[in-house]
Amino acid sequence: MTEPNDLDLIALATPYALHAVPETEVADIERRAAAVPADVAQAFADEVRAVRETMAVVSAATAVEPPDQLRDRLLTQVNSESVRALRPRRIKRWHILTAAAAALLIGLGALGIGLALRPAPTSTVEQVFAAPDVRTASGQMPTGGTATLVFSRKKNTGVLVMNNVPPPQPGTVYQMWLIDAKGPHSAGTMDAKAIAPSTTALLRDLGDSQTLAFTVEPPGGSPRPTSAPFATLALA
Amino acid sequence: MARLPLVTTDLDVLVRQVARRDVDAFATFYDRTRARVFGLVIRVLRDPGESAQATEDVYLHVWRHADSYDPSAGSPLAWLLTLAHRCAVDQVRSKQVSPPRHAHYRAPHLDSAARRVTLHAPRPPAVDYLSSLNDTQRNCIELAYYDGLTYSQVSQRLSANLAMVKSQMRDAIGVLRGTRDTA
Repeated sequence: MTEPNDLDLIALATPYALHAVPETEVADIERRAAAVPADVAQAFADEVRAVRETMAVVSAATAVEPPDQLRDRLLTQVNSESVRALRPRRIKRWHILTAAAAALLIGLGALGIGLALRPAPTSTVEQVFAAPDVRTASGQMPTGGTATLVFSRKKNTGVLVMNNVPPPQPGTVYQMWLIDAKGPHSAGTMDAKAIAPSTTALLRDLGDSQTLAFTVEPPGGSPRPTSAPFATLALA
Repeated sequence: MARLPLVTTDLDVLVRQVARRDVDAFATFYDRTRARVFGLVIRVLRDPGESAQATEDVYLHVWRHADSYDPSAGSPLAWLLTLAHRCAVDQVRSKQVSPPRHAHYRAPHLDSAARRVTLHAPRPPAVDYLSSLNDTQRNCIELAYYDGLTYSQVSQRLSANLAMVKSQMRDAIGVLRGTRDTA
């Protein structure tokens, strides 16, 4: 049921959205908008939104180029804040990731991954984590432990994190395969020395791969899988 | 795992990247939107030096608080211009209760050549969109949105009652919205 008071509030939505109510009334309007029934609150919010979108379109008519110096000043300021903020920001950002992916922090720098794999440079890892299309695929390994792939199609790169995965049997290695429509392509191997409680590896050239598969192979790896995968992750 | 939406506008992506402290994305976002922001601010403040300072404040706010942008509340451009308008209007209102600032305070960072150029720049062009409004509607939008008056100040200026001013503002948006939707 819409009360006269609610209609009065709705009538204030446009002046409110245009910043045409005095500062002393703003808090009162916001308090009332928070206290009214949901449908009235929705009508108020819809109208505020419509006014702002409309005036955003109208702003095309008043466009004026700012002085060039403003750009330099802003970028100088932003760059200096970027450098100062890097360390705490990085930690904060990693905090919000899955626990498995966060363990990547621990794994970094303590790597001895064989052959085709190199320790992931922090910058590339960061680029993947910061990519707008970043996704994760995660699964329990049948041998124990977890494998998590944090990947970005845009960056064509994935960061594989293995937590508490037991090392391969002596005389064998784990080999990773990226599988697309044309079949499996080797994405590197891990031997017993490479497997730490938390192991990471950078997988480049994801291409159109839909699956990451793990097989057990002879030392040095194989050009093609010689056994059925013991684990797979779908890169959906 | 929830998929990210595949269809999104460029500004949406840029704001997300700015929230992740991507300086290049910030520069691109600035380049795509700077004329809208500066144009709106200078339409309200009129002084080029103050307008450059206010524009700088707006973009520094974007850099520091891009993560507060909520896509469900509107487009990035509407979010940005709401910030810019708020900033400009606050400045106008603060001048209504305190004396004007000194000239040297107005453009602390602009060199004199830039100041000369921008000071002689013509006033922003007439707002084409507003030509679709009747006189009262146009006056309401001009006085409230571009001059920073409150609706009660608008009612005094137009010698109209408050309810009429509020409803004329609302009607004006309805007309502009129609223009926008058929554009």
